[in-house]
Amino acid sequence: MSTTTCRHEEGIKAAHESCIDASVRSPLLLLFGNALHWLVVAAFLAFLASVKLAFPGFLGGVAFLGYGRLEAMSRDLFLYGWASQAAIAAGIWLMARLSGRPLGGVILRTVINSAIVLWNLAVLLGTLAILAGYSTGVEWLEYPNWVSSMLLLSFLMIGIWVVCLFDRRANIGSGGRAETALWYIVAGFCCFPWVYGTANLLLTWKPVSGSAQGLVQGWFSGAFLLLWLLPLALASLYALLPRLSGQHLHRRNLSPLGFWLFLLLGGWAGLSRLIGGPIPAWMTSAGIVAGVLFLIPVLIAVINLAFLQRSGGHDGDGIAWQYLRSGLFLVLSSALLGAFVSLPDVSAFARFTGVTSARDVLWLLGAVSFTLLGVLHKATPALLAREVWCAGLSITQYWLAFAGVLLLAVLLFLEGLVVGLALLDPVVSFLNITSYAQPFHVLEAAAWGIFLASAVLAATNFTRALAAERLFPKN
Amino acid sequence: MHHDNHQNECGGDSSGAPLSPWIVGAFMISLFLGGLYLAYHSGGFRSDVYESNAVSWTGGGAQTEEKVDPKVVGKRLYSQNCVVCHQSTGLGVAGQFPPLAGSEWVNSDSKHGENHLVLLMLHGHQGPMSVKGGNYNNAMPQWKQLSDDQIASILTYIRSDWGNNAPAIDPSFVAGIRSEHKDQSDPWTQAQLMQMPPAKGTPAAPAAK
Amino acid sequence: MHRLPTLLSGILLVFLTSWLGVVAYSTLELGRLQPAPDAETGATLPPNYGGDAIAGERVYAAEGCASCHSQQVRQTSITGTDIARGWGVRPSVARDYLRDSTAFLGSSRLGPDLSNIGVRQPKAAWQFLHLYRPGSVAEGSLMPSYSHLFEVRKIQGQCSDAALDLPAEFAPKPGYEVVPSTDAKNLVAYLLSLRHDYPLPEAPVKKAAGAK
Repeated sequence: MSTTTCRHEEGIKAAHESCIDASVRSPLLLLFGNALHWLVVAAFLAFLASVKLAFPGFLGGVAFLGYGRLEAMSRDLFLYGWASQAAIAAGIWLMARLSGRPLGGVILRTVINSAIVLWNLAVLLGTLAILAGYSTGVEWLEYPNWVSSMLLLSFLMIGIWVVCLFDRRANIGSGGRAETALWYIVAGFCCFPWVYGTANLLLTWKPVSGSAQGLVQGWFSGAFLLLWLLPLALASLYALLPRLSGQHLHRRNLSPLGFWLFLLLGGWAGLSRLIGGPIPAWMTSAGIVAGVLFLIPVLIAVINLAFLQRSGGHDGDGIAWQYLRSGLFLVLSSALLGAFVSLPDVSAFARFTGVTSARDVLWLLGAVSFTLLGVLHKATPALLAREVWCAGLSITQYWLAFAGVLLLAVLLFLEGLVVGLALLDPVVSFLNITSYAQPFHVLEAAAWGIFLASAVLAATNFTRALAAERLFPKN
Repeated sequence: MHHDNHQNECGGDSSGAPLSPWIVGAFMISLFLGGLYLAYHSGGFRSDVYESNAVSWTGGGAQTEEKVDPKVVGKRLYSQNCVVCHQSTGLGVAGQFPPLAGSEWVNSDSKHGENHLVLLMLHGHQGPMSVKGGNYNNAMPQWKQLSDDQIASILTYIRSDWGNNAPAIDPSFVAGIRSEHKDQSDPWTQAQLMQMPPAKGTPAAPAAK
Repeated sequence: MHRLPTLLSGILLVFLTSWLGVVAYSTLELGRLQPAPDAETGATLPPNYGGDAIAGERVYAAEGCASCHSQQVRQTSITGTDIARGWGVRPSVARDYLRDSTAFLGSSRLGPDLSNIGVRQPKAAWQFLHLYRPGSVAEGSLMPSYSHLFEVRKIQGQCSDAALDLPAEFAPKPGYEVVPSTDAKNLVAYLLSLRHDYPLPEAPVKKAAGAK
């Protein structure tokens, strides 16, 4: 459907949904497509890194294939190449749909598309910079300064429009369609530039004294996950699960409480990554409390959404439903594991081991990725205005992803338990303990392989859909 | 794709039942417990307390400060400032720089008080001086740019090494002497110093003139 | 919360609690910490380290060493095992990282903690061997070989002073020697500078013998 025939709807009357989809088509396909391809690259690099961990001599001595570089590249690609782009796409689509306002004007569309191109260019250059040895060395912020500035600029070009849509939505007075989802989108889009900008400013652009850097790093890791990626994931769940089920939220009154608690605790929960570290005691305790209490807003979301039943809808919605439901389950699991490792006695043995890695895997690859994949699977047929998913491929891809992530998380958790508990005895040598972890590393490499396969399938599926659209356009 | 009927979305019509008291209660209790934990494990919310099992709401860090031995500091300062003339053996150079080991000026006796020693350090000395029966005629520079703590630690050190065994000098004594003679700018001569009665510099009672 | 200004102000206020409480607080309170004077030697603590160690910090960053190694000894109220294991004589505090342009606290211990590696392994020769062939000094180690930081070259006349003294199974073929590059030397200088064993006002070093 050509956008030139799509008139701007005035007043409170919401635009036709297909009109909205047509207007955001190019940015969204650009975002989702690039995100999926970065997911494949990230998964491949992570797989390579895990093989190096399982067999330390593998590809040894090559400068740009060092474990540290592979690990940094893959992690940043997961964060900025895959998750952030998919989150931006979800934000644009859901905000446009729920507000009933199409993306109007060629200029705005050009700006947003250019921003997306800039983003992907930045990610590519940043990855190559790490490969070449120009990493900043700061966790999750390894991209050089000029790359992170590009990312921030590109985000601002998109984010401002998305946030402004909240006020221009078509049905403000009526209490709102899935308004909870909209709050989370606005919160996420507001927090990203602030969190990312502050952290970069204080850690890489004009670094503060080293004594303060640890705290800012820990805050950033927590805030990036919990105040940017997770709100977009929750927004997707709040928007799509009720819609796909045709039912209401179970306890809608809890939503505002959940939202504000979420925002409040999300900034402090990152401190639980620094328990026992060189930070004042009160900040450790604040991190412990916030990390555990973070369960409350998550439980509120789960209470609201877990009891919805799938009903009717298109066949294509089935796969989206599966991803979203798993996403909700993984949100709960991540929050439970996060609360578990925030307990000081647990952190005593679990910190620095596979247990905390498992928490990150569950949050990033599990909760966030699955919900965003759900949005992707719901949005793409709408954007292309046709049924696109090959059922067999989609189901295989889903089960491979689920198996890969769950296996990886469980293996990391078990490895962390074994290593962490063994380390408690100071007499046992460290090298001895690393040998206990070896079999786990081999299995984790296998789990990464499974996840890689699913990523490849996802990218293939999407590319197939796009190609079909190109070759057999529906007029 | 067809339109969706907006009416069957979760919209404003599902205002829902009032919040269940169980949920509210559980939430309140968790917040309270969290706050309690924070209060007891915050080390007084101080930025220099790192161990969370130290509750210190009043001043003072949770760990006991280890007092540094003034003799150690004094020895270091002596070796940086004084060995050039008085030597690391405390024996000085015959005919040029007076010895400190066994010196009556350093150990204080009936004629030479601690106040004289402090004044020597603060403002220096010029002209002839008799130490341990020997005559010296050299210039000792002033050291009033050092702090009271530093001067007290140097004097404590020289009064305890090389066979000397005199009581420590307290920084407050040095401070008292410094303020008494704050207008003094020239180095002392032996005659000027001997005109002042010797005073003991016990920590409890700063010497009066 | 139906209108953007209300929602935005709410988000701003709530977000500010953590931004002020964590970021602003740490930048103003901890970021302005000054070196502490050392009563015994007159130096300032933490000690300064030289230019090659500063260059070595960049090599540490580029190789991503922080992916596997942490640099913090944990507080004893959480766990005493870091100290019991000999990874430090006292817990690390914020001021320890004062001289670092990047504080590589690390979040994973696939390898041991490095905050006191300059005390544990003070010989540069060991560090070079470990970087070139970790298995030669630490059997069963997961650490990959950083041989790209070294040069294997033909011996010109005599072995150079800097050549690594490798055991037979790791040695290069006869007539060749392994020499560290500038990057390796800088990295080792940085590693040898890593020590948190001096006392600070907020972190005294217990003189009791039971620490280790």
